[in-house]
Amino acid sequence: MIDSRLKDLVAATVLLAAATGAWAQNQPHVSLDAEKLGPRPIEQLTGTNIVRSYALAWRDLANALSQNRPELLNEQFIGFAKDQFRERISAQSHSGLHVEIRDQGHRLKAVFYSLDGGIMQLIDDAQIETKVFDGRNLIYSDNAPRRYLVLMTPGADRWYIRSMQSQPGPASSSF
Amino acid sequence: MRAFSFGFAGALAGAIVFVTAAAAAIEIRVPPKIEAGGAFTIQTSGTGSANFYLLGPGVASKRTIQLSSGVAVAPDEVSNAGEYRAVVCAGSDCTSAAFEVRAGKPARLSFFLHPSRVPVSLPNAIDATAVISDRYDNLVLAPTNIRFEISGGSSPASVKVVTTDRGIAWMRLASSSKAGAVRIAAVLGDIQEPRIIHQVAAEACGLRLNARANGKKTVFDTDPVRDCAGNPLPDGTIVSFTKVDASGKTTVDAPLKKGVAQVELPLKGAARISVACGVVVGNELSLRGAT
Repeated sequence: MIDSRLKDLVAATVLLAAATGAWAQNQPHVSLDAEKLGPRPIEQLTGTNIVRSYALAWRDLANALSQNRPELLNEQFIGFAKDQFRERISAQSHSGLHVEIRDQGHRLKAVFYSLDGGIMQLIDDAQIETKVFDGRNLIYSDNAPRRYLVLMTPGADRWYIRSMQSQPGPASSSF
Repeated sequence: MRAFSFGFAGALAGAIVFVTAAAAAIEIRVPPKIEAGGAFTIQTSGTGSANFYLLGPGVASKRTIQLSSGVAVAPDEVSNAGEYRAVVCAGSDCTSAAFEVRAGKPARLSFFLHPSRVPVSLPNAIDATAVISDRYDNLVLAPTNIRFEISGGSSPASVKVVTTDRGIAWMRLASSSKAGAVRIAAVLGDIQEPRIIHQVAAEACGLRLNARANGKKTVFDTDPVRDCAGNPLPDGTIVSFTKVDASGKTTVDAPLKKGVAQVELPLKGAARISVACGVVVGNELSLRGAT
């Protein structure tokens, strides 16, 4: 039963990822691996919503960091993650900085889904090209794999990012 | 304009990053790991002034520094766990070094207990999830033991210790056989997050229907409705009385009041009356009323 659901989920994820690329160029490719998820099994619709919400969150985060517009975080971020990125945007706006992100995709691995369905923890292995500007001057750039530990919680029609903590991964850097 | 990037592994291994810029060599020395909210100093080499940038999850600061003097980093600049980067730009030549800020000691517990009401004697009926974070709300990733303390109900007080995995500990347990409030607390050192869960009676057991005449009508009532462990079902629980006679089938719902459900039904001729509560069916009576 669960195996069948997982196969469906993988298929749905691949389809969604492909469709995402066609719909909007600034929405990154996201795939989800929920094979070893527990203790609660994931429903196909939940997996699809996670992928969609996470892709939208990164689109919004990239735009918010690029344009120094914290209000762009309101749709997909909540709680600590929202506060943290708002602080970051406020600080870089104050300092005359902005960040350009070229998002090359995310491989999500779901590692914990609470029995009541209220929390999901995921590991994101992402490939992101980052350029940090002071005014028009490039002060830092990289294009490195990054790893994030993410907590998501469900809302009425989407999954919100509640916490996103960068992790030492295969290689890492900050934006 | 030049920019340089370096892998974190390199910064970890040497804790020193050397960059040779076109005009001058600038060295940035950062500690490889910092605890969130810890003040520290970043050392630089070179001569003259430069712009110093600190980039991290909640910070993007810029200041002018004198090279070869220490750059003090305030606790609130590194309160968020994650990867940080210090960048020094002398003119158009920039160099950078990465460091990691890790969560501090556990200081907060988020505790989720589900459901708030649960039938008695049900295996794996209650689930508890605890998320631990430091005083800055960073997830504490170091494995940490959480004590789940259970008291109340029919079972003696008990403790279950669960080690966190990536900041999360969870468990599930069966409800006990006695209805009433059960206190479950997630405990970590001095931090205690208690929650109350209400155990309610399970399905009715031995549902029994009685009948007695009351003038032209007949009164049907139940014995006090209890589950198989003897817990009374809560008042308001619906009991269905069904009469089948020559005119057809009639069902009347009545809530439990003081543990008993009661209805009045007119009887004409032969009739069979049965009672049900939830999925439980009680006894059936065959009666004959006046024709």
